[in-house]
Amino acid sequence: MYASLLTRRYLSTKLMPYVAVLAVTVCTAMVLVAWSVMGGFLDKLLASGRVFTGDVTITWPTVGFAHSDDLIRRLEARNDHVAAAAPLIQTMGVITLPDDQVVPITIRGIDPVRYARVVDWRGVLYWKPIDAPVPKDRAAEDPRLDPQWRARMEAALRDGLSMSRPDPVTGKPVPAAVPGIEVSGLSRRQPGAWYEFRKESFGKPNADGSIDWVGGFMPDRSVTVRVLPLDSKGRDVALVSKTLPVANEFRTDVFEIDKRSMLMPIDVLQKLLKMDESDAVAAEFNPYEPPGPDGFAPVPTTGRSPARVTSVVVKGQPGVAPDALLNTCLAVYREFADAHRGIVPSYAAMRGNERFPPRLIQTWEMSQAQFVGAVRNETGVVVTLLSFISLVASILILAIFWAMISEKTRDIGILRAIGASRAGVGWVWLRYGLLIGVIGGLLGVGLAYTVATNINEIHEWLGRAFGVQIWNPAVYYFTEIPRKVDPANAAKVFLGSVGFSLVGALVPALRAAWMDPVRALRFE
Amino acid sequence: MTALLSATNLQKTYRLGRVDVPVLRGVSLDVRAGEFIAIVGASGSGKSTLLHLLGGLDRPDRGTGGDVTFDGRSLGSLSAAGIDRYRSRSVGFVFQFYHLLPELTVLQNVAIAAMIRLGRVGYLRQRGVVTARAEELLGLVGLSHRLRHRPAELSGGERQRVAIARALMNDPPLLLADEPTGNLDRASGLGILEALVTQRGQTGRTIVLVTHDAEVAARADRTVRLVDGRLSGA
Repeated sequence: MYASLLTRRYLSTKLMPYVAVLAVTVCTAMVLVAWSVMGGFLDKLLASGRVFTGDVTITWPTVGFAHSDDLIRRLEARNDHVAAAAPLIQTMGVITLPDDQVVPITIRGIDPVRYARVVDWRGVLYWKPIDAPVPKDRAAEDPRLDPQWRARMEAALRDGLSMSRPDPVTGKPVPAAVPGIEVSGLSRRQPGAWYEFRKESFGKPNADGSIDWVGGFMPDRSVTVRVLPLDSKGRDVALVSKTLPVANEFRTDVFEIDKRSMLMPIDVLQKLLKMDESDAVAAEFNPYEPPGPDGFAPVPTTGRSPARVTSVVVKGQPGVAPDALLNTCLAVYREFADAHRGIVPSYAAMRGNERFPPRLIQTWEMSQAQFVGAVRNETGVVVTLLSFISLVASILILAIFWAMISEKTRDIGILRAIGASRAGVGWVWLRYGLLIGVIGGLLGVGLAYTVATNINEIHEWLGRAFGVQIWNPAVYYFTEIPRKVDPANAAKVFLGSVGFSLVGALVPALRAAWMDPVRALRFE
Repeated sequence: MTALLSATNLQKTYRLGRVDVPVLRGVSLDVRAGEFIAIVGASGSGKSTLLHLLGGLDRPDRGTGGDVTFDGRSLGSLSAAGIDRYRSRSVGFVFQFYHLLPELTVLQNVAIAAMIRLGRVGYLRQRGVVTARAEELLGLVGLSHRLRHRPAELSGGERQRVAIARALMNDPPLLLADEPTGNLDRASGLGILEALVTQRGQTGRTIVLVTHDAEVAARADRTVRLVDGRLSGA
């Protein structure tokens, strides 16, 4: 009882314990903020893997595989596990932007309707009318709010959903592209996490010195896509290009995706890549055969080559574990490969094994595993390093307690003289350390929560006040600093703070406990 | 009458740097129950050391066979916990420099002795009784109006009276006072002495008092003199 009385009294009458509490608070907050940002980063990274890939992806990269419709039918027949499946063509290409910049890009060919059954791609379409400003757009400057632009936004949304844009002359819908919002550089992200486009026209110089004035709203413009078609054996065919109007732009908030990818209608991309149905050419033929009526040697065909896609994306039924869904997809693919033996990649080639990655049928977790694993390790390293730094708080407590015990030596002698045991006297100081750890830990968790919750505002303020930009979205993938304080992590950090404080208090407490009472009483 | 407290051949040597300084060179003393005994001697004669040995705050040199017996039990045979209990229940200390805890109020300084004796649960159960007794003792030493004050706000005499109240808190049969008037002006010193004598008259408590003040020693039943670490009789 006297221990708690003395702890309270010592804490309320001395300044140094508050310094110790402050140290514990700062260390706790530092570790927890770092952990929260890194953890949030990891969570966002995991979620980002799903933006365009669904739960399981079956991929034969670049050249693709045939009979995807049969595979999708077989998959969807397993409706106990599979909710939906859709074809996807993913390829690399370059696009020419309205300002004549040419940039490399990942192109995803999708069927707007079927793809929407697997992933919510419609939700990421950016240009659409909104009724209320986004939370941080306090001045309501978002052009999507502008009544003058409302009709244009509605049209952009309509065009985006159908991935087409009406031809200005005929009014007929023409297939259109949906690039990521960071691709063109014409839409600028504002601090309030909304995008401003260049409403005024910008000058585009021509070779003859004249200047064309064009507007900066991407859905008014078009892009030219260049891709490299390959035949089913991976042999190049020819470089092809096509100019597509832009229907809308998408925003996933994953910088890497928003900056370097584009959606377009799957049938258009299939044609560009020569992956549509065509005559199959014989692998070998005699070039010295007499020429036909067109003057060229006849090319023997071996029947029709079916249309190909690079991937089938699968969405699981709610509650189905990723592994169960993966096993179902593997089983379905095995049947499918048996049915189309020699035409589609074999089951063994698709599945791969532990020793020979890549596995080409994989869950989104697996597809992200390497990068996610790296970030997970990095999080561990940062938290461990900061924890070591937090040992400083422990050492500070040790130093402060050591000094306080020196000052309180006589009190220790008095307590011993009136019957307190060694353990009792030691407990006074250990308890004191515990209290400092608990108070500092609680304040630290509170501080961390406040900082983590407002970290983007703090970052923006730093940017405004000092011109510092710590979080560069081009490096860190995400346009916003992730913020999420995990209660379990908060509990661990709190316990760590209390533990470190106890360690710091332990040595001084032992010193107090083993002090000779007679010497302590004579201490001046 | 048998001795309540008995010291046999107490020897104590302190080490100052590389030199052994013998402080007590074989002190034997019997104190009867209810006796008021004064130990006088010059500074450095070992008075306080003797008192610390009698109160179980320190132990005699090993291998000398010296021991303190209280109520028939040898302190040398007690465990650490046993010695703590002895100090808590059987002995009340009063020091020359009061030795109050500066962060606590007067009332808490007195009650803390009971907190240590009773432990957390015991104290919480008997909190009312403890507070009442602390207030009563402070009333007896004339400090009823100072309960919430801190030691720093009291005069020397008042502080020493708080220390006496604390020493009596657990109603110990033995009171050990180390120059309780040594740091006080004459009037306050006499007041303290009066307080000690009065409560002894009421309770028949045994008192061992160390002093170098002959006037104080004169109030005791018996006086023994320490010279160079040895008792030389009265």
